[in-house]
Amino acid sequence: MLHLRIIKRQDPLGWRSCLVIFGAVALALFFSAMLLALRGTPPQEGIIVLFKGAFGSRWAIEDCLIKAIPIFLCSLGVAIAFRLQIWNIGAEGQFCLGALGATWIALSFPDQPAWLLLPAMIAMATVAGGLWGLIPAVLRQKMQTNEIIVSLMMNYIAILILDYLVYGIWKDPTSFGFPMTPEFSEAAIVGKIGSTSVNWGLAHCVILALIVWIFFGYTKTGYELKASGDNVKAARYAGLPYNKQVFLVMVLSGALAGWAGFIEASATVNRLQPSIMVGYGYTAIVVAWLASLNPFYIGIASFLLAGLRVGVENLQLDLQVPAAFGGIMEGFILLTVLAGGFFISYRFSFAQKK
Amino acid sequence: MTFELIIPLLAATVQSGTPILYATLGEIITEKSGVLNLGVEGIMIVGALAGFIAAKFTGNPVLAFVLAGFAGCAAASIHGIVCLLFQGNQVVSGLALTILGTGFANYLGTSYVGQSAPGFSPYAIPYLVDIPGLGPILFNQDPLVYLTYFIPVLIWFYLFSTRHGLGVRAVGENPSAARAGGLSVSLYRWGAILGGGFFMGLGGAYLSLAYTHLWTNNMTAGRGWIAVALVIFAFWRPGRAVFGAYLFGGIMSLQLRLQAAGTQLPSSLLLMLPYLLTIIVLVFSSWKSGKSAAPAALGVNMKPTE
Amino acid sequence: MRIFKALLVVSLLLGFSGSLAAKETKVGFVYVSPIGDAGWSYAHDQGRLAVESMEGVTTSYVESVPEGPDAERVIQNMARKGFDVVFATSFGYMDPMLKVAGQFPDTVFMHCSGFKMSENMGNYFGRMYQARFLSGMVAGAMTESNIIGYAAAFPIPEVIRGINAFALGAQSVNADATVRVVWTKTWYDPATEKEAAKSLLDVGADVIAQHQDSPGPQEAAQEKGVYSIGYNSDMSAFAPKAHLTAPVWNWGPYYASVVKSVQDGTWKAEAAWPGMETGIVDLAPFADMVPAEIQKMVEAKKAEIIAGKTDVFVGPIKNQDGKVMIADGVAADDKTLLGMTWFVEGVIGTTE
Repeated sequence: MLHLRIIKRQDPLGWRSCLVIFGAVALALFFSAMLLALRGTPPQEGIIVLFKGAFGSRWAIEDCLIKAIPIFLCSLGVAIAFRLQIWNIGAEGQFCLGALGATWIALSFPDQPAWLLLPAMIAMATVAGGLWGLIPAVLRQKMQTNEIIVSLMMNYIAILILDYLVYGIWKDPTSFGFPMTPEFSEAAIVGKIGSTSVNWGLAHCVILALIVWIFFGYTKTGYELKASGDNVKAARYAGLPYNKQVFLVMVLSGALAGWAGFIEASATVNRLQPSIMVGYGYTAIVVAWLASLNPFYIGIASFLLAGLRVGVENLQLDLQVPAAFGGIMEGFILLTVLAGGFFISYRFSFAQKK
Repeated sequence: MTFELIIPLLAATVQSGTPILYATLGEIITEKSGVLNLGVEGIMIVGALAGFIAAKFTGNPVLAFVLAGFAGCAAASIHGIVCLLFQGNQVVSGLALTILGTGFANYLGTSYVGQSAPGFSPYAIPYLVDIPGLGPILFNQDPLVYLTYFIPVLIWFYLFSTRHGLGVRAVGENPSAARAGGLSVSLYRWGAILGGGFFMGLGGAYLSLAYTHLWTNNMTAGRGWIAVALVIFAFWRPGRAVFGAYLFGGIMSLQLRLQAAGTQLPSSLLLMLPYLLTIIVLVFSSWKSGKSAAPAALGVNMKPTE
Repeated sequence: MRIFKALLVVSLLLGFSGSLAAKETKVGFVYVSPIGDAGWSYAHDQGRLAVESMEGVTTSYVESVPEGPDAERVIQNMARKGFDVVFATSFGYMDPMLKVAGQFPDTVFMHCSGFKMSENMGNYFGRMYQARFLSGMVAGAMTESNIIGYAAAFPIPEVIRGINAFALGAQSVNADATVRVVWTKTWYDPATEKEAAKSLLDVGADVIAQHQDSPGPQEAAQEKGVYSIGYNSDMSAFAPKAHLTAPVWNWGPYYASVVKSVQDGTWKAEAAWPGMETGIVDLAPFADMVPAEIQKMVEAKKAEIIAGKTDVFVGPIKNQDGKVMIADGVAADDKTLLGMTWFVEGVIGTTE
């Protein structure tokens, strides 16, 4: 009788691991195409429309980049915390606090020049996001409180604070009572790169990613963080300041998410309003894991995921596929890629059972 | 707030806590075996839709409720395939399952919007309902609420007093040792994922069959995430899960009633109460106990070649 | 090479002849929630279907579009794809649409519920408050406890205006009527919305009204054995024993008229705020529980509103503190109505 066995690969797959990922995505696309066929939409056309909408034109690629920026920064942030095995799922709230901090500066000092205002907004956004991240870290280390639940609950609280402010004291007097702040002054808006519609936030992403990469690869603190992440007990035994490390990663994590909030408020919405919260903080968690916490892969994964979301709109517009189809497809792709990862480390073998 | 308002408030507490309670119990079973399933929200909404459609076509709410549980199993089995068979990361798999489940339910459910289906209605239990105080709070509910008076006890008994339950816990605490002791780790985990998924599906169906008798897209509205948080809050114990679910449901009902009673506090601040209080209670209880009660192997896959 | 040239010519000719044929008018809709929300977007989509059935018109929509950068992209893509008319049906689409309208001067943009406009961007809304006033009359006449409960979504002017009109309607037939408001901060979470209605029932409300998309509050009223007023569409199927009537949207005729004017080339940017006279807002049929004399009274008022003989917000109207906000004999202008952020006297609740 044939017997299925699982064997760990001896030699790494190398470039062929790309094939595995492609295979997984192809499988997910196949599932999705089947679903399209079931509702009477021509499947090949559907897939083509999706890709055209996501990557088929200069605009499409610009749109994807714009959408990828906040996902990337939040994801870069949570990846830092995950490296130390601190489960920060509060990027959503930290993003929100960052947007609040930036908005506060922008509304308080509308007449300052850009060279002063933008750095101040960034500083306030990162401080606000970082402090919001520090709270679960302190509760975790000092009160033994689980950081997952605290950071999750703080997401809801952050959004309600935003609500309270934009429905209350920050409401634009000229908005006819609608919940939004006044538009930021010209100086408080991050501009666009050249003639494109992509904002300079893209450059922030590149620089911050480099800094994170250098921090973990080439500094003592970064190296120690990695060591603690790999083995907490050993690191404590070696005398590493574990408490401080936890505080540090959560502050950095929150600061990056806060930075994302700053860019979203300043560059793309130009004001604060409740609809700024669209769940990038949760998307970031998926992206960070898929990219195995590597800044470069996080960049690729954010871009592709943004592309999928932009492309699905095209699918809605051209073929009247409901928005929920986008969720199904995203779920399929994530699950197949995840399951496909198995074949990078293992293979099946059929052996004769004795 | 006067006394006449307190009894309806507590009765509402029980009802609004119930869907979360079902889901929390499901997640406790799953996590006890060492599997973290963050797909609760997605599984719940699949259960809500499945229950609604089944009730609509069979006209039998009891059957619909059970079918919703099996729909929950089916959704949860995806988590099992990815994590147990293919060794996928449990966090990503759960989040992806939430995205998939929500998308799937909304995709299929749009055509059922604006329709109604048969469901459960409150049924006062004779004699018990006459107990002053407790009666109108606990015994003037729908039958699905009455079920939750027994289920936590049964789950507690199963997990902590049966051989099989001991197996589940062993697999969650130390899978290598459990395997050495002759237990099939993957079989136990499959059981826990499917069993947990069943209860999550029931939690969703409670919303579409008993709490209301209708379906709209996204009708779980984040309750699955609350359930994930309450598992930690409950220190993985069914009894405390009841406390947590009622605490959360109670504060939610309270803030609505404060508004109805004419308070001048801004609604955003009132809505913060349930989340804030959950954190505060958790801080105090974990401060006292001092250590995490999480299953030691939670979220870690068992390597197939180990 | 020759073959290539020939192909090129043929394809050019094909393309040319294609554009010569009668041009289809392409109409796009942008919705803030899924059409499966049972309420707001669902009502607009019913309107879209009416446009779809017109001759020479194709429609398409994108649902669940968050307000902000995503909206700008979606509207922009519609314009790029050659849509002739784009309807955006949420307040937060106003600024994104204005930006895009500047870039595509040949496309007609229509924004619902806002106030900004340009050469090629108009805005529109329906005077739902007129129907709210009439439904308030029904509620005011039917209540015995003089407490009417109102489950509401978010404290934005549209909702506040509706509550005020409702309260004025109730007070016009019953001077002692009060309206208690509970904010749920959700548009379509049936369980929370039902709970909000139950909390109002607990404080003695015996008629429940709502500004929510799901019929959850209707169910709560039916279970308690009291009356209810629906919203968006006729919700009587969900609570046949409770549902008295409902202020309802009917976007179809308006959308069809806009598309028609674009086809004829007569479209001009304007701020359109049609009322009951056009049928864009209306009252759902009365249930049998509403006594004939009340029906007659409300119908008479409706006829007056349609004829333009009376208006809802005519002073003196006081706010909750008793301060006169709209002076005696003055009818509030549209600007005041659009930016309404205060409750009238007799409403219990806060607009924060």
